[in-house]
Amino acid sequence: MVSIRPSGSDGVVLTVRPFMTFGRLDAGRFFMLRGDEESSPAIPRPFSLYRQGDSGNLEFLIKVIGPGTEALAQSRVGEEIVMIGPLGRGWPELTQDGKPLIMLAGGIGSAPFYIALQQALAGTDQRPAVDPGQLHLIYGGRNKGLLYDIEKFEELGIAVTPCTDDGSFGFHGNVVQALEDHWRQSRFPSEVRLWTCGPEPMMRAVVKVAEDRDLQCWFSLETYMGCGVGICNGCAVLTCKEGSLGSWPVAKCCVDGPVFAARDVQLT
Amino acid sequence: MSDLSTRLAGLALRNPILSASGTFGHGLEMAQLVPARALGAWVSKTVTLTPRPGNPMPRIQETEAGFLNSIGLENRGLDAYINETLASVCDPDAVLIANIGGHTEEEFAIAAARLDDCPKVQALEVNLSCPNVDGGRLPYSTEPATAERVMAGVRAATTKPVFAKLSGNVTRIEDIALAAEAGGADGLTVINTLLGMGVDWRRGEPQLATVVGGYSGVAIKPIAMRCAWQVCQAVKIPVIGCGGIRNAEDVLEFLAVGCTAVQVGTASFSDPACLATLAQELSACLDEEGIATSAEVSGRLARNLQCEAGNL
Ligand SMILES: Cc1cc2nc3c(=O)[nH]c(=O)nc-3n(C[C@H](O)[C@H](O)[C@H](O)COP(=O)(O)OP(=O)(O)OC[C@H]3O[C@@H](n4cnc5c(N)ncnc54)[C@H](O)[C@@H]3O)c2cc1C
Ligand SMILES: Cc1cc2nc3c(=O)[nH]c(=O)nc-3n(C[C@H](O)[C@H](O)[C@H](O)COP(=O)(O)O)c2cc1C
Ligand code: FES
Repeated sequence: MVSIRPSGSDGVVLTVRPFMTFGRLDAGRFFMLRGDEESSPAIPRPFSLYRQGDSGNLEFLIKVIGPGTEALAQSRVGEEIVMIGPLGRGWPELTQDGKPLIMLAGGIGSAPFYIALQQALAGTDQRPAVDPGQLHLIYGGRNKGLLYDIEKFEELGIAVTPCTDDGSFGFHGNVVQALEDHWRQSRFPSEVRLWTCGPEPMMRAVVKVAEDRDLQCWFSLETYMGCGVGICNGCAVLTCKEGSLGSWPVAKCCVDGPVFAARDVQLT
Repeated sequence: MSDLSTRLAGLALRNPILSASGTFGHGLEMAQLVPARALGAWVSKTVTLTPRPGNPMPRIQETEAGFLNSIGLENRGLDAYINETLASVCDPDAVLIANIGGHTEEEFAIAAARLDDCPKVQALEVNLSCPNVDGGRLPYSTEPATAERVMAGVRAATTKPVFAKLSGNVTRIEDIALAAEAGGADGLTVINTLLGMGVDWRRGEPQLATVVGGYSGVAIKPIAMRCAWQVCQAVKIPVIGCGGIRNAEDVLEFLAVGCTAVQVGTASFSDPACLATLAQELSACLDEEGIATSAEVSGRLARNLQCEAGNL
């Protein structure tokens, strides 16, 4: 554990230095983490990779909601924690020639977007950097305290639309209302790609928009996870018959996801 | 280095540590984390004759001291298992025990017969005891006569060693154990998960979609050990202990009560790589005590108690 700093009203950002070094980790993949405290539950919890530092450090943005997240938030600098990963499949590769990409984050659902934006803006040897004008983040929460690290996102140099249900910061309304507003004001072309991560009702609303307007849409899904590596069948999600995941009615969020194309799985 | 080699119902295992069904996938998922040679054998997730999509979500929940699950035997059925899963298993170093389930007595026998032709499967484990089907009625693991018929059907259908996996959700587990032995089982796995449940009283919702599910992990270790002990006293065939085992000490405790081998389940969720090193830890533990073979530990408790009784 390299550092722990608070974020928003109930979140923390953990910076950890893994004992092994990783190359570039795909945005949207996750790790299973467990605080090494006696007080921690025995089974690690899944967390999306938030940022990957140049020094090999990894960052996680975590909302404290129960014993597992509490134990992680209580760990001390210098302590060891258990990390299993990187796991799962992340976001599709971002290419410059595609349609503009709108990321819609709800609360802690912003975590897997930071690294995606970081990588898109940096590009790789094989892939040129994406023009910041092609990227837009709509980041919503019930109130300002739930827009974790909003200033870090704003520093990335892309357009960010913060929105709050209570109007305490940014656009007064939810992310879908903000999206519709952008379209009404002709700030977005009608052809865009949507990526979303957040509470299920929010993601359902985004998927509905995508269906109505026939837009490509991906989401990062959250399920309970027993193992994170595909051995317990605890993380089942229902597949769509016409989707690309095959005919079996369920997929494993931990290996087939957590990022799915909206046409491949059903939100419950 | 102490010798961990174990003979189990005709199988020559490099150590007495097996993975428990449903907690190790089909081994393929774990290939990177746990090399096959680290295990005595690995047991596949239960496969049934026909595909089963499994139970609704949520299917799992960690509790204060254990783990609740209601997976509902999700599997793609025997055809897919043989043609796809087994076809991709290619580790000649691994000993594979296929775990089979069924809705009727005949289904167990049919599955056993089909797997008899698969050279990659060295033995069968018969899941008499999954709590997550048929409303937790557990007919095959609570009625001795039914258990005996299922095992006799399987025994007649295969040439491979067969193990019966028993439930701890019974009053007299020895009766079921004896019935399975009479039916022709070559060994017994003791135990499957115990029935349990959890509730969110604020929302008035169950923690598992099926309300009741199977309970596993450290919390069930004393119960599993008691069951293993009672079964070891009752039968002549080897017993595989299972329930809450996490470390070398736990393994040796189950050997001491009379088990020939053990299975590790839920511990793999806390640390998916734990089975990669458990055999080494076991060996180190024995070395420290100056014990040459793990087999020596097996049955220690009963021998000591008999001695004491004789001295009285
Ligand atoms: C792929 C993936 C990535 C994730 N990334 C992040 C991240 O970057 N940052 C972050 O803060 N969180 C993330 N999460 C969520 C995080 O894993 C959970 O918040 C964490 O497991 C909670 O553990 P806990 O022990 O603190 O709370 P628990 O006691 O386990 O849960 C607290 C409460 O939340 C409910 N709950 C927990 N998980 C679920 C679920 N899946 N569905 C419905 N209810 C649930 C419980 O029933 C309980 O009421 C991610 C989850 C997944 C699957
Ligand atoms: C998620 C999960 C799935 C399981 N699936 C099966 C199964 O398909 N067949 C079976 O015989 N036992 C199954 N079990 C039971 C385990 O094999 C084992 O008997 C039980 O969990 C007790 O051991 P443990 O405390 O080490 O986990 C499952 C257990 C868990 C936790
Ligand atoms: S979390 Fe265990 S299979 Fe996905």
